[in-house]
Amino acid sequence: MTSTSIIGTSDGTAQRLAEIRGGVRPTRHNARTIAALTRNPGCARRAVLDGAGVDKQRLAAYIDFPSRFGQSQFALARGNAFEAQVKANGCADLLSLLRERLGLPIPEVAYDDLESVTGRDKESPEVRYARSRALLTRAASGDSGAGTLFDHPLLGLEVAGQRVYLEPDLIAFQHEGRFHVVEIKSFAVVDGQADPSKVSAAAIQAAVYVLAMREMLAESGYDPTIVSHDVVLVCPRDFSNQPTAVLVDVRKQLSVLRRQLGRMTKVDQMLAALPANLSFDLAPDAAGVPTRAPDAIVDALHAVDARYAPDCLAVCELAYFCRNEAKGCTAALGTSAREELGGIERVETALALAHDELAPAEDQAEAAALLRSAARLRAELMAGVGL
Amino acid sequence: MAESMEMLERRIDALRAEVRRSVVARDGARTRALRAELRTAERVWEQAIAELTDESDSVESSESSESSEQLAGGSLVPVREQVHHALILLSVPAAPRLVAEVHAAFFGGTATSLGANKLTHLRRDEKRSFETAPYARPYYLCSALTAEHLAPARGLVAVSTWPLERRIVGPLSPRVDFLTAAARLAERAGSVPDGSVATVSRLLWRFATNIPGATSSRSGVAGHDTVDPAVVIRAAEAEREVHADADQAQRASAADRARRQLDNVQQLFGSPLRTLEGKTA
Repeated sequence: MTSTSIIGTSDGTAQRLAEIRGGVRPTRHNARTIAALTRNPGCARRAVLDGAGVDKQRLAAYIDFPSRFGQSQFALARGNAFEAQVKANGCADLLSLLRERLGLPIPEVAYDDLESVTGRDKESPEVRYARSRALLTRAASGDSGAGTLFDHPLLGLEVAGQRVYLEPDLIAFQHEGRFHVVEIKSFAVVDGQADPSKVSAAAIQAAVYVLAMREMLAESGYDPTIVSHDVVLVCPRDFSNQPTAVLVDVRKQLSVLRRQLGRMTKVDQMLAALPANLSFDLAPDAAGVPTRAPDAIVDALHAVDARYAPDCLAVCELAYFCRNEAKGCTAALGTSAREELGGIERVETALALAHDELAPAEDQAEAAALLRSAARLRAELMAGVGL
Repeated sequence: MAESMEMLERRIDALRAEVRRSVVARDGARTRALRAELRTAERVWEQAIAELTDESDSVESSESSESSEQLAGGSLVPVREQVHHALILLSVPAAPRLVAEVHAAFFGGTATSLGANKLTHLRRDEKRSFETAPYARPYYLCSALTAEHLAPARGLVAVSTWPLERRIVGPLSPRVDFLTAAARLAERAGSVPDGSVATVSRLLWRFATNIPGATSSRSGVAGHDTVDPAVVIRAAEAEREVHADADQAQRASAADRARRQLDNVQQLFGSPLRTLEGKTA
């Protein structure tokens, strides 16, 4: 099988996804992409591309709608340096934080590095997953001395009927029979306050790990709730590089995540509704240069329904393409506008209704009344300021 | 050095031309002889180049460390020995970063060039050297081994002369080694040259903040320079007591296993060939 990150699907589906992807390795999911996935669960285009592990960044660039986001190199370097600092010398910094904040007793210091198991540079995720699972379940069984800190455990999660491996750069820590997920982030906590959007992004990511760990334990027959819904967020304090730890309750993020992952259309069903010859294969030649015409790719994209919302710009590599495609749709104005204008798909229709140039259909009556009064208000206001 | 290099290069060029001529003349025996000569010359050139880079490395580091002191030998010591000095001081396997910091603090000079990359190279060279002529050197820089799989532990360097037990890393070992290192640094903190007192106490302070009771209650405000080495030693020993027995038992049993299962090279550089399939099932 070409795919190492997708297991647990029927051969037929895996085969089909491989065709859609083309002859390249699937891109890997991580907590970031899963967190983003739940932001727009109704988007079939995204679900198919992500399910097949298509390199969306490359695809978007090829059809001339390059994505304009990503983490800056500086942010990445800073994040890695801070993580290395917190974990240096057998997690010395982290241990003292956990002792202070969570009352971790002195004897609890065992540290297991799960990033490299057999010492080889390239070991398969299966090996790492098996080892993570073995150690975490042994700890869950209440075996004394079964470990406290588990660095870089490899977890698995079911996403849209697909099993994907998650490679968190975090530590799971076990204390008094309960696991906590530790998320190390390099944004600063100043005076006990941090940027709320960053905290919430970190909380969603951590929730993905909590969920994955719970599933791993549940599969092995342990009580999933021994993974705490309180995650430990470690950030630099004030303007120093000194780490500080706070507990963040991710119950809300967990339930959102669970609901949306559950609701996501199963890949099998989605594939059945698609044209049989659908493929996003760029058909690279020996030198890696794509040989397929961009128009063919665009046609293939049109064959799968997208559900563009302005939020997509922050989380999806194909957002610029979808925005261009959704021009003139009320949905492109954002979720609140879309909800207000239920049943009216096009902006022209909405304008025509507002100006009384179009008789509203039965289900559009409410929205039409709203639009007309909005148009009247606008006209009055404009007249008032003398425009 | 540069002159002899130039002469070598000229000779290599001349030899290449000779080889070409003799090939054209179909003089097989002469070609072989010339080729062998060319190879020898090239090898000498490679060696000279390697020495040259070593020299320029140490020149660089000595230049940047001029501020503290021009200690004879201080930074002219090759990286290999710098690492060895720092590790012997710490007496436990350590990450490159810590090795560099310790060397910079206690032996002067900037050891910042001691990147992880360089250490990977170093370790590979050491391994190669050991494989071709085992135990020919007084010591080798080698890997710490994980207790579970006896594989090389990620990012830890050790010294071959240490007993196997000390080079094995079990789950408790990172903490025990951290405490041991803290105590060793504290012991040595009194006997450093004046120039590096500040760096050493900063290093020690960083260790002390992560050991319960090590940042003494002396002055209340924990400034960088208020760490009392004696207090650090006492605190580190106290915590080490808690973990020491269990850790020692894990290390000893792993070391026994290593002695039974691994050959000499693997005992020093780890056994990367074993996977865990079947073991955890």
